Amino acid sequence: MRTPSAGSPAHSPAAAKSRGGRAALGLVPFGLLISLFLLVPTLSLAWGSFHDSKTGALTLANYSYLSHPLDLVPFANSLELSLASTILGSLVGLLIAQAIVSSQRPIIQEIATTFSSVAANFAGVPLAFAFIATLGASGLLTRTLLGAGIDLYGSGFKLYSVVGLTVVYAYWEIPLMVLVMLPPLQAMKPSWREAAEILGASRWQYMRSVAIPVLMTPFISSLLLLYANAFGAYATAYGLTTGFVSLVPIQISNLINGDVNHDPGLADALAVGLAVIMAICIGGRAILERRSTRWLTR
Amino acid sequence: MANEPVVARIDELKNAFTAGQIDRRQFLKGLVGLGLALPSIGLIVAACSSAASTIAPASTAAPASSVAGATMAAASPAAAAAASVADLTALIAAAKGEGHIYQTGIPPEWVNYQAIFDLWKQDYGVTIDGTATEGEYSSGQELDSIKNTGKPDVGDVGISFAVQAKTDGLSAPYKNSHWADIPATAKDADGFWCCNYWGAQAFVVNTDAVKIPINDWKDLLDPSLKNAVGIDGDPTKANDSFFAVWSAAIANGGGIDNIQPGIDFMNQLQASGNLTAARANDANILSGEVKVAIKWDYLGLAVRDKAAGAPNITVTIPSSGSLASPYADIVAAKAPHPNAAKLWQELIYSDEAQLLFLKGYAHPIRYDALNAAGKIPADLAAKLPSADLYKKVTIVTNIDKITAAKTTLGTGWKIVVNS
Repeated sequence: MRTPSAGSPAHSPAAAKSRGGRAALGLVPFGLLISLFLLVPTLSLAWGSFHDSKTGALTLANYSYLSHPLDLVPFANSLELSLASTILGSLVGLLIAQAIVSSQRPIIQEIATTFSSVAANFAGVPLAFAFIATLGASGLLTRTLLGAGIDLYGSGFKLYSVVGLTVVYAYWEIPLMVLVMLPPLQAMKPSWREAAEILGASRWQYMRSVAIPVLMTPFISSLLLLYANAFGAYATAYGLTTGFVSLVPIQISNLINGDVNHDPGLADALAVGLAVIMAICIGGRAILERRSTRWLTR
Repeated sequence: MANEPVVARIDELKNAFTAGQIDRRQFLKGLVGLGLALPSIGLIVAACSSAASTIAPASTAAPASSVAGATMAAASPAAAAAASVADLTALIAAAKGEGHIYQTGIPPEWVNYQAIFDLWKQDYGVTIDGTATEGEYSSGQELDSIKNTGKPDVGDVGISFAVQAKTDGLSAPYKNSHWADIPATAKDADGFWCCNYWGAQAFVVNTDAVKIPINDWKDLLDPSLKNAVGIDGDPTKANDSFFAVWSAAIANGGGIDNIQPGIDFMNQLQASGNLTAARANDANILSGEVKVAIKWDYLGLAVRDKAAGAPNITVTIPSSGSLASPYADIVAAKAPHPNAAKLWQELIYSDEAQLLFLKGYAHPIRYDALNAAGKIPADLAAKLPSADLYKKVTIVTNIDKITAAKTTLGTGWKIVVNS
């Protein structure tokens, strides 16, 4: 595949060709990585999902879960959890990001970015344990609140539930939102606002006609990223609930690892369902990114 | 075992002789003093002589022991005991001749194996081979290793893998000399595997947090136990929690043939709000997140010792009973050191090694026999749930029943989790 060399006009077609060839050569490691870790696994999933895991015969039976209410519960739980944590994470994250930009202090921006990068990647069993120690039935915060007369667990809250998981997921969704929304917010040019004001626009008119349309695409693409991120998360949820809250990634792992419900074919079919949802999120995000970069280049 | 003292005395003499502490004449005199028939003395001395000189290769030692076995039938009871000792003596000699034993899936920190390794080295001085990684192998990996490398002599596998090893022709038959003590369900009739120790499902109770007595399954439904009861993982994945659910069936009209009442009980526990999703692992038990854990007794006893009073933990066996899952010892079919492998079986099922298992909180397969003979030291017994409670424990070795229970759990558990 040749890379377009529009940015640097070539003097002769031959030179362009050889430069393109070299550039393509440089892409080989990336191409290998993508094929080995994305394309091949995806294809093998798709292949496995249409074949009986015991006989190897072509079948649609693996997809029969789509008609079993009990087997759709993991999808319902995953959708609910991802949606809730995306809404919570994006709203809080957006407010924090705006506050950071408005502060106009580089030191705060740096601290916030560094912390967010760390927090957005703190997940899995350590995070699960941190939350058990804090918000578990005998967690520090739970007991402190109980001492103050607030009975969290008595009022029906459980860390080991979709609600509890939403709180835990927000722990990395919020900093992730801060990280992805900081650049577009910083790219908003003060001159746009000044121009609007000179033309007699009110604050609300500026927001409605300039800020929101420009920020809408990065915002929606961030939502998709957060959603995909929550949907595919496994280790934290498993570490916390040992499978008591049935989510798609946990269900897949049960079908592959578990010796009770061992059914790789069904696991493949569930994974294809998961991959379709992820592809919609990531594809949607890619399309939106292309649109938003028109305005928000710094 | 009326001949036990005689056998023990012969053992002592034989050890002293092979170790060179007494000479041949003292040895003979000792044997005659025990009132043994002359032919059997001849056999013992012959076997020990080859042991002392350690020149007898495995191929000649094995027929010698089978000759001893053949004579046994016609001899007097005393001679029969002596003949089996001759067997053992020949075996020791042959194992020493091989000089090595290759283990897989026998890690030193598991069920007190380090102490058993020490005992082995001290008694026989045969080198134990096998890397630490191989020691940590799971049962499936052990069978793969036996099949593909041909190196291992002995393995310690979960019961279903022991049965599979026989089916796949990976294990060799050998009946240890304590064969009669071992319950019929816990050994292969043809000797291709033999259970060595087991763990039973128990209640591990944080008595600082739980103020009501927990003796049986129904106690777990008490309203004071909100979010307090936990199992060790997802039962569709982890053997520990699978057996917790299965054991719950016993008190609720099911049992080894029917796991469904156990699933229903867990559903009831979930609906009551008492079942927590927090895993009953050490960290969650120690922090008080899981106040009543349903898990293997040996893991519970270990965490009790680890807690050392912070919090206070007691371990008890449900009074209506629970299930136990055993491990089994196998001799590899193509063991490079077959005599050492057989001698390892003799050691594992001996009183000494069986008590070492118990010290590591795994219940030895000869537990009932040792208990009946009063061989369990009082200080060790005091650290364990009472022997009476263990009488209600059923050891599960029937693979078909395990498969059936897992199939039922496969669909049943989804309802517990997803409702």
